[in-house]
Amino acid sequence: MGFQKFARGTAAMALVMGATAAAQAEPLKIALVETLSGPQASTGLLYRDAVKYQIGKINEAGGFGGEPIELLEFDNQGGPVGAADRVRAAISEGADVILQGSSSAVAGQVTEDVRKYNLRNAGNEVLYINLGGEAMELTGSKCHYYHFRTSPNAAIRVNTLLDGMSEAGVLGDNVYAMNQNYSWGVDVQDNTVAAADRLGFTVVEQTLHDVNKIQDFSPYVQRVQAAGADTVITGNWSNDLLLLMKASSGAGLDVRFGTAFLDQPGNIGNAGAVAEGHYLSAPFNPEVNPEETAVFMEDYKSVTGHYPSYVEPATVFGMMLLQEALKQVEPTEDGLNAADLAAALENATAETPMGSISMRDADHQAVLPMIVQEVSTEAQYKADDTQFGFVPIKVISAADAEQPVQDSCQMKRPG
Amino acid sequence: MKYAPLLLLVTVAVLIALPWLVSGSMLNAAVQMLIAALFAMAFGLLCGQAGMLSFGHAAYFGVGAFAAVHAMNAFGGEGLLPTPLLPLVGGATGLVSGLLAGYFSTKRTGVYFAMITLALAELLHALAPHLKTVFGGEAGVSSFRMPAWGIGFGSLNDVYFLTLVWTLLCIGLLYLFSKTPLGRLALGLRENAHRLRFLGYNTHALGTLIFAVSAMFAGIAGALQSMNIEAANYVVLESHISTAVVLNSFIGGVRVFLGPAIGGAVMTFFGHVTSDLTRVWLLYQGIIFVLVMMFLPRGLVGELVERIRNPSGEGFARTLSTLLARLASLAIAAFGAVFLIEFLQRVLSPEYRAGVTDGNWPDIALFSYDWAPLSVLPWAFGLGLFGIGIALVTMVNRRVAARKEAQA
Repeated sequence: MGFQKFARGTAAMALVMGATAAAQAEPLKIALVETLSGPQASTGLLYRDAVKYQIGKINEAGGFGGEPIELLEFDNQGGPVGAADRVRAAISEGADVILQGSSSAVAGQVTEDVRKYNLRNAGNEVLYINLGGEAMELTGSKCHYYHFRTSPNAAIRVNTLLDGMSEAGVLGDNVYAMNQNYSWGVDVQDNTVAAADRLGFTVVEQTLHDVNKIQDFSPYVQRVQAAGADTVITGNWSNDLLLLMKASSGAGLDVRFGTAFLDQPGNIGNAGAVAEGHYLSAPFNPEVNPEETAVFMEDYKSVTGHYPSYVEPATVFGMMLLQEALKQVEPTEDGLNAADLAAALENATAETPMGSISMRDADHQAVLPMIVQEVSTEAQYKADDTQFGFVPIKVISAADAEQPVQDSCQMKRPG
Repeated sequence: MKYAPLLLLVTVAVLIALPWLVSGSMLNAAVQMLIAALFAMAFGLLCGQAGMLSFGHAAYFGVGAFAAVHAMNAFGGEGLLPTPLLPLVGGATGLVSGLLAGYFSTKRTGVYFAMITLALAELLHALAPHLKTVFGGEAGVSSFRMPAWGIGFGSLNDVYFLTLVWTLLCIGLLYLFSKTPLGRLALGLRENAHRLRFLGYNTHALGTLIFAVSAMFAGIAGALQSMNIEAANYVVLESHISTAVVLNSFIGGVRVFLGPAIGGAVMTFFGHVTSDLTRVWLLYQGIIFVLVMMFLPRGLVGELVERIRNPSGEGFARTLSTLLARLASLAIAAFGAVFLIEFLQRVLSPEYRAGVTDGNWPDIALFSYDWAPLSVLPWAFGLGLFGIGIALVTMVNRRVAARKEAQA
């Protein structure tokens, strides 16, 4: 009996001590600074769903340091000023990691704010994980040690799209570059032109037009027709993409569109049959790796109420990278040392249903597989309750999708 | 009004003591409030005093912001332009661009004036994304506040005091400006420009000057903003910045001196607090604007000043009790409305809809109670409170009207 009592006592002591130790470690706080209200909120809310989903998974697997991760949500009110304000609020509430994705303008502000905060508060750094700001300069002239981009960028989007379409024999010889006249559209255009020699096509004409101001694209469509283009490569999104495709179909033009954002919710529902036969390069397609992917699709739906689409899968994959990095970090007395996490995340690799994705240490751009896909009625998962969906035509592995590090990135490493 | 100087002193004292009174997040909100207040004051000079409604004030705010950010990068906070003097650059650019834009826009009045200001602002807004060297493209131009005069300017407190000093200084200057002959003539321009012209004044030059002064202060506000966030992005030129300043000024009361400032500060604070609490804060903001315009067309401060200047003759105690009764009943109605809106928003949210399976509607937690969406209770609760509140307000109003009639 004596021994049993002793054993029980020890076990109880161990439990109590374990509990106090766990209580002492601060839970890791992750702040999502996203656009959650106003006209741009629809994309911000998708990021929120995806982040909540994967943080739920991390917490199910034990969280960080034995404590569930706490997710703080901040509304950046759609602009850089609100974002600057909320980043400060997030840091003052103890967030170690900041997540944001829905706008490169906001991303530009957040990455600079984080860089400056870290300069002024050495030893207390915070990390910024950019889930979707695709502007090239974020991993170029603005790159720094505490910024990580888990989404593709203009170079990856355009080159994979062109590679996939070229291999499938649907690119044609004459390509028209039609883009919005701001940094993103210019990046897409430059990358299209740069790939011409490699893939052996001619860029017959390049057009940069006003952003979200044009109601009638028929003059632009006439120029596409006059140039004799087989394919239009465009980085357009939202109305500029829909109206362009509709004008082209209305004019009876037989061109294919290669796009970057055709899968935004509502696009297929709005465009309907007009979108059929057009192409997209994105980090996810539900029909790739069907066994694993179906599990992910159904699980995601059971948690959030809808199948993952648009930015959601890539966000989940980005959070998987964070999860892998967290596994390699030992919690300290104050919770998390962000410098340790940055060092781990720099070389993190995660297995996703699409294949393996990893972080590149030279510029902190994720290297991820891309799927070139076509809008078709034969898709297994339909978009927006229409008869159309995305059928994969080519899976481009992470290694093939990788694009060179930009020369403008001069990353200063600690130590 | 004899208490005005005392009230002013107390306000300034509280503002100076603020960093020791509130949390970091609130101090951050205070910086934004000060900037919004100064911007609204600049707008108020043009719209309230001179009667020219501009729909494009974001342009001068933005020009000031970009000028300051470029100056910050060029001088590095040293030499001719140490960090605390950077808003001067914003002011100077605002003044010059205001002279140019004012020359064209003040050739017309009324709606045509508003259209020209809108067009000029849109011109800049459309141009900005194309000029990557000046406006920095989508990711914006960023910069770093350098230490100067022995102050680090790294902490939020330093930024707060910098903003506070500039805002108070500028509001003081605006007050003095309103006392100068030029400032007095602004009122004449608003009331009767024809008569002013018959008296021999050059109304075009006058309008241009006032426009430029207003743009100058807007530029200073913009500079303070880009110093606060250490960056400038061309979204600052978007039209919603122009409309926000119009709304803020009108909510505060555009024709009383501090009205726009208080409107700007209150609405910024409202956005800061509510945007993290609810997804539909923009709806509340819109409702507030509509209600203020319908029932308090002079604005919050304008109404207050009016009440103090023309007391109802019922004595202080009675006025106060009527006011409190009105506020209490309005609060009941507002709570009912907020409850309904929030409940409806939760029922309609996709997250909640995902949890609904086979006609089984889970309870919704709101204001620390769980409500069943299919029962009458929550709807009756919200509607009931709203109805009771409105009924109470009407009752109070009727009583006041009856008393007035009895007196007459």
